[in-house]
Amino acid sequence: MPGAGKTPRVGRRRWVKPKTIYSPAQTELDLPDTNHTQITFDFGDDVPSRPLRTKPVSEDVEQGDLFGFMAESPEPTPQIEFDGMQKPVFEVQFSDGRTARFQHANTLLESLESQDIHIEYQCREGYCGSCRTRLLEGEVHYIEEPMAWIDDDEILPCCCIPKSPLHLQ
Amino acid sequence: MAYTTFNRNDFDTFAQPMFFGEPVNVARYDQQKHKIFENLIEKQLSFFWRPEEVDLTNDRKDFIDLPEHEKHIFVSNLKYQTLLDSVQGRSPNVALLPVVSLPELETWIETWSFSETIHSRSYTHIVRNIVPNPAVVFDDITKNEHIVRRAISVTEYYDSFIHLANYYTQLGEGTHTINGETVEVTLRELKRRMYLMLVSVNVLEAIRFYVSFACSFAFAERAKMEGNAKIIKLIARDEALHLTGTQHMLQIMARGKDDPDFAVIAEECRDDVVRIFREAAEQEKGWAEYLFKDGSMIGLNKDILCKYVEYITNQRIGALGFDPVFESRNNPLPWINAWLNSDNVQVAPQEAEISSYLVGAIDSEVDTADFGDFDL
Ligand code: FES
Ligand SMILES: [Fe+2]
Ligand SMILES: [Fe+2]
Repeated sequence: MPGAGKTPRVGRRRWVKPKTIYSPAQTELDLPDTNHTQITFDFGDDVPSRPLRTKPVSEDVEQGDLFGFMAESPEPTPQIEFDGMQKPVFEVQFSDGRTARFQHANTLLESLESQDIHIEYQCREGYCGSCRTRLLEGEVHYIEEPMAWIDDDEILPCCCIPKSPLHLQ
Repeated sequence: MAYTTFNRNDFDTFAQPMFFGEPVNVARYDQQKHKIFENLIEKQLSFFWRPEEVDLTNDRKDFIDLPEHEKHIFVSNLKYQTLLDSVQGRSPNVALLPVVSLPELETWIETWSFSETIHSRSYTHIVRNIVPNPAVVFDDITKNEHIVRRAISVTEYYDSFIHLANYYTQLGEGTHTINGETVEVTLRELKRRMYLMLVSVNVLEAIRFYVSFACSFAFAERAKMEGNAKIIKLIARDEALHLTGTQHMLQIMARGKDDPDFAVIAEECRDDVVRIFREAAEQEKGWAEYLFKDGSMIGLNKDILCKYVEYITNQRIGALGFDPVFESRNNPLPWINAWLNSDNVQVAPQEAEISSYLVGAIDSEVDTADFGDFDL
């Protein structure tokens, strides 16, 4: 549970899951990389875009078969290839040795939280700066324009996703 | 430079520095020199809320049942916050507007300060609910020595800047004799005072509020004073934005992205910045001691609160590019993050009022069914 700490808890907990949903693939099923394609339209720095998650490319998925694809085993059909597009699963490494794997989560922060790596947060929308983290290696894509002040070598995990494997401090 | 309400000089608006350039004339937002301030305005406007939207009737009962030492904690924090927002609702305007030179920054300052007046109004809303006579709370703010001591350190940098800036906007730079007293006005000294003032504002919004926030949320963790906590969440959301605004101003200055004088001043003032942060943290720790003088509250005590002050001080000074001032590296109150986030508390409507951020939203979806029994 995010926010759970050493402090003795008292009374009623009011933590409710954040507004965004974790993808099941993130937490339980370890689906092979080929199952989903995450497409990010990169408009450069001006227009932050949202990642679009597509269904796996499969002729067999019937119209209206909305959830079938989630339980399916990977199709032999290859994914659509986009020039220069990397695989959507990235390893995230911390200098203290902790590792995580980003796959299909809405933000880097959510991905890390679901893997029990807790980063400070407040707004979860890029304006408070609480989640400020040093990026030693790698590249991220902002899905929401970050407003908090960050240095050139820092990122705001609450509003970005990796574009490459990451090395964080 | 003498102040003028609508500058008729012919100048390039977008070549102006943030402060001490040409006084602003046209309030235009089509282009910005520093787009961040436009973004901050938009965000702050989207946050608009009114205290009366939060129902506090349950808080009244909760308050009556609190033990005396917890009433002291609650009321003292309320007084302190009232002081802080009284200052913030006025001083950014008084200090910065006469010398600001960019329209988007001017409007950000006004928007920022306006939101502080909402905070102040919310304290009246809270106090009215818990005591029959609000004057007993408000009148004490200027008398209580613990509050007054804070008032001095909160306002000294504002006053020192405003004092000199008044002479500057009337008489300009130079050595002036006023009522037999010699006053030296230099732009350089004015800029130095402004930089330190912004640091002290940053400290106010980044550190000074948080002892109080922590106590409010610790009450609410026990399902006490929950209406109050909801208001504090909205205030905390605004404050996080204000903090970002000041951090941007300070960083733009320090990095010479605006007025090169400020980069030099920022470098010269590094020790002062550390001192201001450290002093504020020590004062807040002293405040925690005063709060808990008659006993701790469940879930929170003086030591853990002091650790939290140290932790948050490190965080905030880090955002300005300074090394940590204290040892504490980990947040001793991690549960507070969930409270500081304004989106994750779901309240059943029957349990408490939902703080709706969209006031007066109109449903523009019109369905044919809406006209079902509509005859001409
Ligand atoms: S949590 Fe506020 S900027 Fe990331
Ligand atoms: Fe405020
Ligand atoms: Fe504020």
